[in-house]
Amino acid sequence: MPKTTPMVLSEDEALELLAFLVTAARTQLDEASEYGSLRLLTAANRLADAVADRVSPATRALLTGPLRQIPELAVRTADPAGYAAGLDDLCRAVGEHLVGHFGVDRRVP
Amino acid sequence: MTGADPPPSAPNPVLAAIRSRRMVRAMVDRPIERAELEQVLAAARWAPNAGNRRLHRFVVAQDALTLRVLRMVAPGMFQRPAAVVVICIDQRRAISFGMRPTAKGLYIDVGTVAQTMLLAAQSLSLGAGVVTSFSQAAVTQVLNIPGHLSPEMFVCLGYPAAIQPPGMRARVRVTWQSLTDWERFPTGGDGGS
Repeated sequence: MPKTTPMVLSEDEALELLAFLVTAARTQLDEASEYGSLRLLTAANRLADAVADRVSPATRALLTGPLRQIPELAVRTADPAGYAAGLDDLCRAVGEHLVGHFGVDRRVP
Repeated sequence: MTGADPPPSAPNPVLAAIRSRRMVRAMVDRPIERAELEQVLAAARWAPNAGNRRLHRFVVAQDALTLRVLRMVAPGMFQRPAAVVVICIDQRRAISFGMRPTAKGLYIDVGTVAQTMLLAAQSLSLGAGVVTSFSQAAVTQVLNIPGHLSPEMFVCLGYPAAIQPPGMRARVRVTWQSLTDWERFPTGGDGGS
């Protein structure tokens, strides 16, 4: 029996994010390449804003903690190494959360 | 040479406004009085404009739902403004003057209009920020913009929030001297950029 999870995004909110992603795909063609990461993180933050009140405490901690560590307007060229390190930290936190959320570490081989 | 701006010989409100203006990316949920909005638009009418041709049109959005949808199709729009002025180029009129759609003057004048609006907003204690990262195709649909007008820039207006997100960090320290050369470039120089 698959695990059921509650709906955390309304149709309006999903459409809002979809519109952002689709239009960002177009605007990115004319913008500095470093804006690619910026836009994806903005989308992640907008998704987080939309769902934060409806997710589990552990997921909320990810959304309000590690996800907010990268400044809203940060881009790579100001500090390439620091920017990459910040994203690595965030990805590490996401990976760690996924392991706990999906119970990867509790699976019996 | 310190790189600091030279002090004006007397208090100068124009220079003070230029120096203190910032791009506002966080705004409070408070409407703008129509009269103030009209003052910003009236100021834009006086912006420097190539040949005094006035090839731009403004579309003002204040409806909350319209603003929300505009933000959905404008990835560069961090603000939740009380109003957005969309600066459009009237391509049909531009063509009537023998101008190509890519003529640089059309886009330079978008900038002069925007800067004039930003300074007007600053003088009225309004916050303002420009956005160019939006889908022109989507915005055209959302605002039902006629085909001969191309939306080029948003000027977002609202009352600034007390806390603003940190701005983009400067890649290099910029002074007016670092941006300026006098007379001719030295032989063999590359401009230093």
